[in-house]
Parts: sequence; structure tokens; C-alpha cells
Amino acid sequence: MDDTAQRLLGSATRLSRDPETEIDWHAPIGDGFGMSPEWSTLYGTPYWDELTEAQQRELTRHESASVATTGIWFELILQQLVLRDVYDKPPRSAEFQWALTEIADECRHSIMFARATERMVEPSYRPRLLTRELGRMFKTVATGESAYAAILVAEEVLDVMQRDWMRDRRVEPLVRQVNHIHVVEESRHMVFAREETRERLAGAGRGRRWVSALVIAIAADTIVSSMVGREVYANVGLDADRAVREARRNEHHRSLLRTSCANLMDFLGSVGLLTPAASRVYRRTGLL
Amino acid sequence: MSYAISGECCSDASCVAVCPMNSIHPSPGEPGFGTGVSLFIDPRTCIDCGACADICPVDAAQPADQAATEDVERNAEYFAGQEPLEATDLDSWEPPSYQVWGGGPRRVLVVGAGPAGMYATRELLLRTTAEVTLVDRLDQVGGLVRYGVAPDHPSTKQIVQVFERILHHRRVRWMPGTDARELPGVAAGGSSGARRGPVDGFDAVIHAVGARRSRRLGIPGEDAACTAEDFVAWYNGRPGAVAPAELAGPRAVIVGNGNVALDVARILLSDERRLRGMDAPLDVKRRLAASGIKEVVLLGRRGPQDAAYTESALQELRSAVGDRVQLRHHARPTAWTSEGLTLDSGESIAAGNLFTAVGFEGRPIDGLPFDPDRGIVPNVRGAVVDRPGHYVAGWIKRGARGGIGVNKACAQETVLTLVSSSRVPASPGS
Repeated sequence: MDDTAQRLLGSATRLSRDPETEIDWHAPIGDGFGMSPEWSTLYGTPYWDELTEAQQRELTRHESASVATTGIWFELILQQLVLRDVYDKPPRSAEFQWALTEIADECRHSIMFARATERMVEPSYRPRLLTRELGRMFKTVATGESAYAAILVAEEVLDVMQRDWMRDRRVEPLVRQVNHIHVVEESRHMVFAREETRERLAGAGRGRRWVSALVIAIAADTIVSSMVGREVYANVGLDADRAVREARRNEHHRSLLRTSCANLMDFLGSVGLLTPAASRVYRRTGLL
Repeated sequence: MSYAISGECCSDASCVAVCPMNSIHPSPGEPGFGTGVSLFIDPRTCIDCGACADICPVDAAQPADQAATEDVERNAEYFAGQEPLEATDLDSWEPPSYQVWGGGPRRVLVVGAGPAGMYATRELLLRTTAEVTLVDRLDQVGGLVRYGVAPDHPSTKQIVQVFERILHHRRVRWMPGTDARELPGVAAGGSSGARRGPVDGFDAVIHAVGARRSRRLGIPGEDAACTAEDFVAWYNGRPGAVAPAELAGPRAVIVGNGNVALDVARILLSDERRLRGMDAPLDVKRRLAASGIKEVVLLGRRGPQDAAYTESALQELRSAVGDRVQLRHHARPTAWTSEGLTLDSGESIAAGNLFTAVGFEGRPIDGLPFDPDRGIVPNVRGAVVDRPGHYVAGWIKRGARGGIGVNKACAQETVLTLVSSSRVPASPGS
């Protein structure tokens, strides 16, 4: 573990990004998409085809802001999970120092996402109250593999989308830049989360694995389903009921999610976290 | 510091997708991808995050300080003469490409559970909501990974674990030990009264049967030689594999200049210590140890510039067996007798065994067209010519070239063709 942490610390020295100075926060914002349109929850539905291009553009900007807000929410949880986990670890260890580096990264990311969403769209988004309360509970009690695998799932789902958006010339340059910063630093965080998950699971019995697998799957479901809520559609002036209905049945979006999360599912499978119960949840969420 | 990719690279490019700095090349779509050469990491832009190593299914990506010096050098060399990519200039990256979900098939039959069939199954599960029936004549998944990769390359075989997990998917029906021709409907040529698909009960069939048959040299006495097909199957313990005739030292000749020829040479010359570490049947190890083969002549019919082996495979052979392997180029064999191999120059090489490893070709599939020259089923991006509903993936589609992971991109192409051309009937029986 310390070897991995040491390497990650070295990598962070080689390339860490500072959104404060790297991004020109005063540059004018254009009218680009907020995300690749193919990633919109409505893309491929009849409703999408009825929208004008300006409406589609606006929808993706709101969806992107909402996703980023979910990212902030989870990064807050993540920082507390990591902080609790290293609370009594020796400060001189690479693992401890890497953990604090990660928290510092997440802290900068949250500020970066907050500022970027502020520049992109008018309304501010937040996960629903119930989701926030569930998160409050999770950050207080989750430990070991449940904590690290949940971190992994949250970051990876966000990461796969952002990898696409950052390369997409149709997407607003600010979003692309913000996403790349996140992707670079997240790649280290995910390596760390995988390593921690593997390590914590070594020697775990079937019962514990079963419970952890289910907890992680439920966390994944909560995160994915809170990324784009009905107020997003309402704010763009759409019929929220219809949009929610069509988004829920959107096979294109589900297959995009499934494809993007294939590596993640492989990993969960390889460490024994794809139990039948967990798999059922992932299928419902559209990740499997 | 950076990471480096070793010669065991499977080229499935999952590392390319996770590298945050676009440091891994050639990526799918770039020249050089899919030709059998491994992928490389640009040490100038690698930030040592380890994402590639984490995702690599065969443990080929390693931190440079733990990798072999040759591997580190080979990675650096690949990029020599190119400007480093500026990853923070996002326009230097390939833009993303999207497949739009288009209905897709409901039931698909995949024939062959080797890498091509498994990657195709995985793509179908990801891109469609189809139920996939997967058949293989053997009892286990893996095909050439299990029964073709040399037993001293255990990390390459690790990818079988990825394939095995696919079997547990709810939408997969796995039928081991099944000859596809015996499935109801297939035997009858796929047509019956209420025909709905190319084969009764299926909207599409993906034939991923590989190309296992050894090409022939066409010289007198060849029947007494051992083909790579038989020898490789034998040392991997493939069910039903035929043991080669008596192994007789001290010299063996291998005709062929590909990685398979190099594998055969390495296995033949393995000492007791190497043999002990191999995951091969006991009888195989025993016979190899008792063979008395001390020297191998590798015969290339053309020059070294035409050799199909990769640099890393040659390096590995050299470091494993030293000067006990002799490479001869521009040498055409004309006849094989118990005395040895005669060349077109009139020279004769005395040897106890002849092995032929001059490539593989596919066998014709009942009911499908076949191109005997290339040993493949003629197809357009995976769709079999003139046979709607029939698709091919892997070596039977593109010929016996490219490593294991190249099948991923190949299967993606086939499944994309299948999804975009398949139109599910509006209602059952319509």
C-alpha cells in the first residue's frame, strides 16, 4: 500500500493542476453544449427530437451543472470518509500523506465545480433532501471496503462521462478544461481506491462481502439516480413528468452507461463485489 | 519515472481509455494498432498515475523501475522522432465517438467462446438488451488463450478470468461442449416454415470460430512433420489434442518466423527449471524433458525484414535459451525425410523433428461463403457477404493476425454492424 501511495505522491508532484490559476475565470462563456449531447438523459428519445437545437444545448448545460453538483456532494462525503479512515494512521506514512493530498484535490475540485456551474447556468442544483440525509448517514458510518469502493464507483461513473466531454469539440471550453483537471487527478484517486478496496477485502468472509457489496450498489444507485433530477427539466421549460418518464426508459442512455462502466463492473466482479443481490441493483440502475 | 508496457501486451486498449494524459499508443484507429505489436507508453508525458497498470488484464503495464530494461527502452524508442503530445491541449485528443442505440436484436447466437466470441458477447451485453446464447465445442471458455498461449506466459492467460465473468451475466446462456451444427434449426440450414431469423429462434448469429488449422508447406514428407496446431494444442493440454510423434534430439527444425514459431522453440528448449514453472500437463513436461532436443534451427523462407515475430518475443527467446537457437533466413525447404530437411540450395539440415508454424487459416463454415486464399469468410465490417443475419468476428473474419486484445476492437466493429443493420420484427412471428 505504501508503495502505491508513494508512487501516487510522486505522480502528484509531476502533475497537479491548480484550477485557480489554470482557468481564466473571467473569459466569456460561449453557447457550447454543457456535455456531449449523446450523454443527455433525453438523447435518443422522441422528446429530444422535438426540442430545438437551442433547447437541447440549454438542457445539456443544466444537466452538466446538475451532474457536477452531485460530484460536489459526493466529494464532500468522500473527504470525510478518507479523513475518518486515516485519523489514527501515522502521519509520516505515504498512505497518510497521499490521503491528505487526495482530500486537498477534492477540495479544489469542489470549488472548481461550484464556480464552473455558477458561470454556466442560473439556478443552483442540489441532490434531494432524502439523498442528502442518506449521504449524511453513509459518511458517518461507512468504513473499509464499503467506503473505498463507494468512492471508486462515484468517481468512476463521473470520470467516464467527463473523459468523453473533455474531448468533445462541441462542449463549452470551460467544461472541457474543468473535466480534464478532474480526470487527471481522479485517475490517481481511483488507483488508490481500488488498492484500498482490494486490501480491505482480503480475508473478508462471505457475509461481510455480501453486505458490503449491497451497500456499495445502493450507494451507486443513489448517486446515479440523483445526477439529473426533475427540476433540471423544469428549469429548461420542459414537461418534467414526460421528461422523467422518457429518461427513465431511455435505452440509449442505459447502454452508454453500461458500456462506460464496464471496467468498473469488471473490477467489482474480480474482487467478489458483484453478488447476485448487488447485481440486481446495478441492473436496475443501468450499470450492468 | 513512468510506466512501461511489456511484450506480453494483449493490445485490448483498455489502458488507452483510462490514460488521463493520452500517453499510450498506437490507440485503436491509429496506424499500427491491431498488427500484433504491443502498445507503448510515452515516458515524456506519462505522469506515473498507474491507471494503465490497474486496468491491464494481463499485467503487462508496469512501473519503469520494476520493468525489464528492454521494455523501458522499447517504449521510449517507439516515440523517438515524434513530438510529445500536449495532453492539456484537448484538441490533440481523438474526439469521442458514440454508438446510438438502435433497437437491436432480441436473441443472438455466438459460436465460439474464444477471445473473439467472448468480446462479441460482452459487446452485445453492453450495447443491446439481447439474450445471448454462447456455444463452444469445448467445455471451457478461452479458446486460443487457454489452448494457444504458451504455458510459460501465465499472465497472458489471466484474461480468461474476465471471460469467465461474462458467463455469469443474466442474459447469457452458456452451452459448453456443443457443436453449433447440432443446434435445432442450424442443422437444417436455418430455415423452416415460420422463419424469423438466419437460424430458428435467433435474430443473428456471430461466428467466432477462429482459424486454428495450420497452413501447409506443400513439400514431400510434410505429413511426418508436426504442425504448430497439433503441437501447441498438445503442450496446452487441449482435450482431444494429438501428441506429436517421438521427440528426438539433439536438433529440431522449425519452419516459420512468427511468434508461434518462437513459442515452439522456447518450449522445446526449456530446461527442467523452466518446465517445472509451467502450467502444462505432467506428461507433456515429462516428454519435453526427455526429448534430448538441445538445439533449434528457425527457418525463415524470406528475409528478417519480413519476419512476423515481434521484437519482444525474439528478445524473450534469446534470454531464455541463449545461443541454442539459430535463425536462418532466405531458406526454402524442399523435402523432409527421417534424415533431415533439404533446402532449395541443396543443403540438408540433419534433425530429428520438423515443426511447421507458417500461419493458420480458417475452415469453411457450413452454409457460408469462404475465401480459400485468405482462409476467411468474406465479410463487410463483420457482416457475412450475401448471408443476412450472419456475422463473423476474430480470425475467421480478418485472418490469423493480431493479438488477443485486438479482438475487442474487432468484435466492437461486428456488433456495431449487427446492431445498426438488425431490425427486430414488430411483433413475434411477423
